[in-house]
Amino acid sequence: MRRYITRKEFLREMGLLSLLIATDGHCFWGKDKEREKADIRGRVFKGDAPKKPWKWSIEGFYYTTNGEDVQCMVCPNRCYLTPGDRSVCRSKVNIAGKLYSIAYGNPCSVHIDPIEKKPLSHFYPATEVFSIAAAGCNFRCLNCQNWEISQRKPEEVHHGELFPADVVRLTKERNIPSIAYTYSEPISYYEYMYDTARLAREEGIKNVLVSNGYINKRPLEDLSQYLDAANVNLKSFDDDIYRRLNGGRLQPVLNTFKVLHEKGIWFEMTTLVVPGYVDKPEMIKRMCGWILKELGPDYPLHFLRFFPRYKLNRLPATPVRTLEELRDIALREGIHYVYLGNVPGHEAYDTYCHNCHKLLIERHGYYIAKFNINHGRCKFCKTPIPGRWGS
Amino acid sequence: MSLTDLIIISVIGTGISSISVQLITVREFLSQFYGNEITISLVLFCWLMVSGLGSLASKLLKRKSITLYSILALITGLFPLIQITAIRLFRDAIFIHGESPGFYPVFFFILILSAPYTFFIGFILPYSLAVIKATRQTFTAGKLYILDNIGDITGGVLFSFILVYFLSPFKIIALTSFLLILISLALILCLRRYFLFMGAFLSVVVFFAFAFEKRFELSTLANQYGLNIVSYRESPYGRIVLTKERGEYTFWESGSPIFSTFNITTAEEKVHYPLCQLDRVEDVLLVSGGMGETFDEILKYSPHRIDYVELDPTLIKVASQSGLLSPHEQVNIILTDGRGYIAEGRRRYSAIIVDLSEPDTFQLNRFYTKEFFDRAKGVLRKDGVLSFSLIANPNYLSEVRVKKLSSIFNTVKGYFQNVLLIPGEEVYFLASDGELDADIPRRLRERSIATSYIQGFYYGNVTEERIKSINDAMNPDEFINTDFQPRVINIMFTEWFKKYGTSPNWFIGALLGLLVFYLFFIRREEYVLFSTGFAAMGVEMLILFSFQVIYGYIYLKVGAIITCFLLGLLPGAVLGNRWKKRGKHVLMNAEVGMLLLLAVYLIWARFYQSRVPELIFFLYGFSFSLLCGVQFPVAAEIIGEEKSPAAGLFAADLVGAGAGTLAIGTLLIPLLGIQAAIIALILIKAASTMLILRAYRIR
Repeated sequence: MRRYITRKEFLREMGLLSLLIATDGHCFWGKDKEREKADIRGRVFKGDAPKKPWKWSIEGFYYTTNGEDVQCMVCPNRCYLTPGDRSVCRSKVNIAGKLYSIAYGNPCSVHIDPIEKKPLSHFYPATEVFSIAAAGCNFRCLNCQNWEISQRKPEEVHHGELFPADVVRLTKERNIPSIAYTYSEPISYYEYMYDTARLAREEGIKNVLVSNGYINKRPLEDLSQYLDAANVNLKSFDDDIYRRLNGGRLQPVLNTFKVLHEKGIWFEMTTLVVPGYVDKPEMIKRMCGWILKELGPDYPLHFLRFFPRYKLNRLPATPVRTLEELRDIALREGIHYVYLGNVPGHEAYDTYCHNCHKLLIERHGYYIAKFNINHGRCKFCKTPIPGRWGS
Repeated sequence: MSLTDLIIISVIGTGISSISVQLITVREFLSQFYGNEITISLVLFCWLMVSGLGSLASKLLKRKSITLYSILALITGLFPLIQITAIRLFRDAIFIHGESPGFYPVFFFILILSAPYTFFIGFILPYSLAVIKATRQTFTAGKLYILDNIGDITGGVLFSFILVYFLSPFKIIALTSFLLILISLALILCLRRYFLFMGAFLSVVVFFAFAFEKRFELSTLANQYGLNIVSYRESPYGRIVLTKERGEYTFWESGSPIFSTFNITTAEEKVHYPLCQLDRVEDVLLVSGGMGETFDEILKYSPHRIDYVELDPTLIKVASQSGLLSPHEQVNIILTDGRGYIAEGRRRYSAIIVDLSEPDTFQLNRFYTKEFFDRAKGVLRKDGVLSFSLIANPNYLSEVRVKKLSSIFNTVKGYFQNVLLIPGEEVYFLASDGELDADIPRRLRERSIATSYIQGFYYGNVTEERIKSINDAMNPDEFINTDFQPRVINIMFTEWFKKYGTSPNWFIGALLGLLVFYLFFIRREEYVLFSTGFAAMGVEMLILFSFQVIYGYIYLKVGAIITCFLLGLLPGAVLGNRWKKRGKHVLMNAEVGMLLLLAVYLIWARFYQSRVPELIFFLYGFSFSLLCGVQFPVAAEIIGEEKSPAAGLFAADLVGAGAGTLAIGTLLIPLLGIQAAIIALILIKAASTMLILRAYRIR
């Protein structure tokens, strides 16, 4: 066996190596178009399902079968699962040819929050909401502040036991008017949410969905019969950003807004203004144009200030001026109610009549200092104020 | 001057250049990725391992050519500029802008981007020996080792004590590579390769033009920070960048945004949670985090004095110049290490507010140990409050975070009668011997202090149920975090890996496999050098760690310790060269010396841990590396150039150093503590001693 190479051979090898490096480099340099397509959408977890359903399992509500294989139809991921596979959201599994949700009655987070925290500014202000979450999410947002439950399997988190009837009973016992399905992604525990919402409606308790809106039409329509309000993230108005920062697509989210609108569900929209991504005035203009055309001017839009979180922690906080500018754009375009979030003390927390522009609700954080709405109308000009105000 | 003399000088030039480039590269990667101990260790590991491979590769090349050497030397001089530029540009080309990637992507990025240069560095040193020996037979690997050390020391001292204070990375590269580039050009000229010289000269002109062009350097930072860079400084502690967007500032320290203007929530939580507990606030000690609204909030209590301790003077300078640190007559800025300042106990305070990042480095862990809390209590007035915060999700406490919070909770609880956790945006720890009240808005109302966030949002975000839930979740059986057993760092590593859903086990397994494979094939004397490289880096990490714990992180002193390690190698190598004929006796004596030194360290760490004069640390570092230095020429002499060229010896030393860095820095100290790390080093060295002894007996 030859041990050494000659100088010529060495130089040739080095030349080839340099060429290889240069080619690789070229691939990186020429990646602009591919970068635009960078996609962090989740994948099915092959062979990751438990052997048998556990106590907190229920057969999925929406799925099709192909022999032993199943396809979940709850969200646009439409996970195709062979036996033993786990869905993108980590909460659905194929066990012996049946689709199970394993996030049913096992909430990992249970709290009582102010309704304004969801955020919902036009839905029974200053009331409390019983908030629950089970593990899982069909997105992969790089800035998720709840990643310890949204990016975990139901078996990996500490959880309690609250089956739908228990959730409703507890809410009623505490005299709380509504239940929110929140924190992680409720669409990943759709069955648990659906059954709880149905029972809650029977007891006169309202249901609030706080979601990324990544859900198929039929499950949403079915859920809508029990829904009273929703806060749905409109994370950007650009499919590329949806894929790069959130691991999802834009169009299904837009469809969700349309369904909620058609079904008469009160909803508010939230956009986290991520610097360098979701802060382009032109994009916000397009977004407002779509909202006005498809949904009308009455649904409130919340612009939230971004702070570095989770994996997206090497970006600055959103300048307050940027938020103000986007708010001005949205108002100018014709959206009636545009709020800012994560900017304590800012006047954009308050509600102004879209007709006479007088102060309707003066908020100090979650507290209401002034409330100038009577029976859902502006106290000054009597214009109906969109929302759900109660008596 | 002969061609051989020029090559000899170029070896020194390589040392000067390579050590500076190594330090710049570590800083660059820390600015690009999350700067915990794992990243630091990965960079050093990749560097040492690929250099080792480079050394091994030079074994393969049979024919020795001065022209080839000259070209390689020139590339070694010019390449660092391309390397640093590539790191900055490829970072955002490969990863999503603003994202912190996980362990494996970071590892491969570091490996790929640093590999070409480190490979050259590893390759060129033994290759230079081969080229020199072609004309000067008497020149030995030991002499080469000495020359390399002279270059390393010169480069290290130049960088650490002079250049880092005044120049940006590109200019430092240009200056420290100057000698190497000059000699390379001279070599090519002497060889009368005129066409080659023309090309080389042109490359050098382009190199210096780019290196000294400030706009070019700034443009390479634009990917990361955007185009609105107001200030860019390289301080000894890291990269300070200030950007301004829509009239609002963001302060970046080594690539992380540490502060943005109008962050009312953080300022109020940080200040009012502890201060409102006190009936009277006389003086406040703030450890870091003094920018923005912080002082305005503290001044609402009308304290007589606020002492603000910040480590990095550059940070203060930039903040003051941009108006982010508005002058107040009560505020007294102290530029030193916070832990060291508290240990001195010069003054007593009503409250100490520690506003530092998570304890994921040895430097930061010092602020979350029982020793620190003990000293902090010592400078607090009666019933004074200590406060600090740690990251946790207010909606859900994961197992690893319960572990982290419990460990710190138990540690601080050992020194204060009351410890209260408030789950705000972060979890705030309040510790005092006086009563602590979680009803912050009520306390503020009583004192007529107005706030934007707390009065509006506290009751909704920090409910009684959430406060109870987090305080009840603390596990009293969780271990105590100490200076010399910094196990919270290990929890931080686990948290980091969980964030990315990855495990380092594959990496560790693969490395162990490769290491066993490597150790199986090397010679006995090469193993001695491997273990010496391992122990040298391991001891350097231990000394740096211990020194920081006791004296605080003072850049110049830490730099001086590293220099002592470098300095010790030189006389060691000279002595080794002189005594090399005595062979195994010298090798054995050096082994025994190292074992004794390690035993002394172990006894100190086990029984004393008391304050020892700083000089002892410097002397210890010098002595240990002196013994390491002795071994190289002796081992080279024993094996002989025929059996194993210098390449194999350099490789053994470098591979050992890489393994030592990773094993001691990221595994043993965080997992098992300092004593276990010393014992591991003793075992590694004892094994090499046994090998030498066995060789004696066979003879």
